[in-house]
Amino acid sequence: MSSDPGVHESRHPTLKQYVGIAIFLFVVTLIEFVIILPVDFRGAGWTIAPLAILSAIKFAAVIFFYMHLKFDNRLLTWVFLGGLALGFAVVFALVALFLSWTPSPRSYAAEHAQPCTFDHEYVCAQYKPAPTPLPTPTPEGGAAPTQVPAPDDASVNDSGELVAVGQQIFLTGQGEGTATGCYTCHTIAGLEGAAGLLGPDLTNIGAEAGNRQPGVTADDYLRQSITEPEGFVAEGVERAVPGLMLMALTSGLTENDVDALVAFLKEQQ
Amino acid sequence: MAHHTEISHHAPEEEHPTTTGINNRKLLMWVFLSSDCLFFGSLIATYMVYRGQSLVGPYPVDIIDVPITTISTFVLLCSSFAMVRALAATNEDRQGAIIFWLLMTAFLGAIFIGFQVYEFNLFKTEGLRIDTNLFGTTFFTLTGFHGAHVTLGIVWLLGLAWVAKKGRVGPKTALDVELAGLYWHFVDIVWIVIFTLLYLIGGFDTGPAGDPSLVPHSITGFLGLI
Repeated sequence: MSSDPGVHESRHPTLKQYVGIAIFLFVVTLIEFVIILPVDFRGAGWTIAPLAILSAIKFAAVIFFYMHLKFDNRLLTWVFLGGLALGFAVVFALVALFLSWTPSPRSYAAEHAQPCTFDHEYVCAQYKPAPTPLPTPTPEGGAAPTQVPAPDDASVNDSGELVAVGQQIFLTGQGEGTATGCYTCHTIAGLEGAAGLLGPDLTNIGAEAGNRQPGVTADDYLRQSITEPEGFVAEGVERAVPGLMLMALTSGLTENDVDALVAFLKEQQ
Repeated sequence: MAHHTEISHHAPEEEHPTTTGINNRKLLMWVFLSSDCLFFGSLIATYMVYRGQSLVGPYPVDIIDVPITTISTFVLLCSSFAMVRALAATNEDRQGAIIFWLLMTAFLGAIFIGFQVYEFNLFKTEGLRIDTNLFGTTFFTLTGFHGAHVTLGIVWLLGLAWVAKKGRVGPKTALDVELAGLYWHFVDIVWIVIFTLLYLIGGFDTGPAGDPSLVPHSITGFLGLI
């Protein structure tokens, strides 16, 4: 730890030492990789300690030899370790705020969190109570099929019920399949919860759908807009941006889901 | 012009006394790296806090490819070795070797960035974008800022190689190479931490949809101790 500037040669390791450290770093990284090689070990809790220790060893080898802290003025070591300690403090502080140190879940954040105002619909979707006038809301996880009657069931022959199913899919994203809830981006005036501002306003879509594309019926236009949103993007419609609505958002829907959505949207006049 | 060259060659080398006994530029570099620990510390903390909190996939287990990233980690380690060789060559005033090792370091860094570009593109096609879920947001922010650091280092090294090509890098200006080296090694150690945390430990996380009890709510849960 000499800080004497006179002995300049001794301030840097020799080539042999550099090669040795490089090999050491290689071997340690290889060991880390081998630790998680068996499928059973992957993500297992006990692997965390050895992996953390091995990476700390590599970390130390690089800063003390490659960055020659070991051979440099000691003050530099304290300057760097001071910052490192503060960095750790930041991690601890944020973990303490949001995860807590005890098994009691997220105590601070849970107690101080602002209630979900549904301004950020995407995040709140899972916790949002379903609109009341609908059929039984589906819990998360997609256990839907038993709860959402398929349109070809005798019970749904009534088009009013199909519209209700469509409305539920619009507001929850849960039908027979799962999609991102349409309300996330679309607004339907008068429908509670449907106030998204990313995509076009659908308040009057039932009246407009038939006129959007020459020769295409309202049914077909709505169907394509749901299943193949990038296929045709109407011009002159506010917030209708090509490429914004991706097929991935709706690809989880079944045929019946789409039928229900189309029926629901046609009602929006 | 010759006069100017001489000035720029010698000016940084005038060792004036400092209260700490450490060259000011070098101290500044270490203070900067020290502060960068805080920067990455907050990004890492954010990743930890939001780990396992994504409500929609893709989740890490769907997408993280540990073997590929192990290779790019090796490449970055190699580049650190090339960097110490560049500094050694500078101290020994071997002009050809200085340029070679500086370019080699930059080249290996560029390969690492190439791996990252490939990985980011792959993730994008597999449906993970920065706005897809909390995993995507925290992952791309952390690794993206690290990649930006590496990219800056490459530019710095190429600049040094350019200066070295003009014969202006040698034992008298070894500090120029040393400072670039400190930065480069720092970027390497940050990756050591990121690789361990995001890939080796967090790379197999599944989403809460699979088993809600897996969502860590506490630090003990996070560490897998309970």
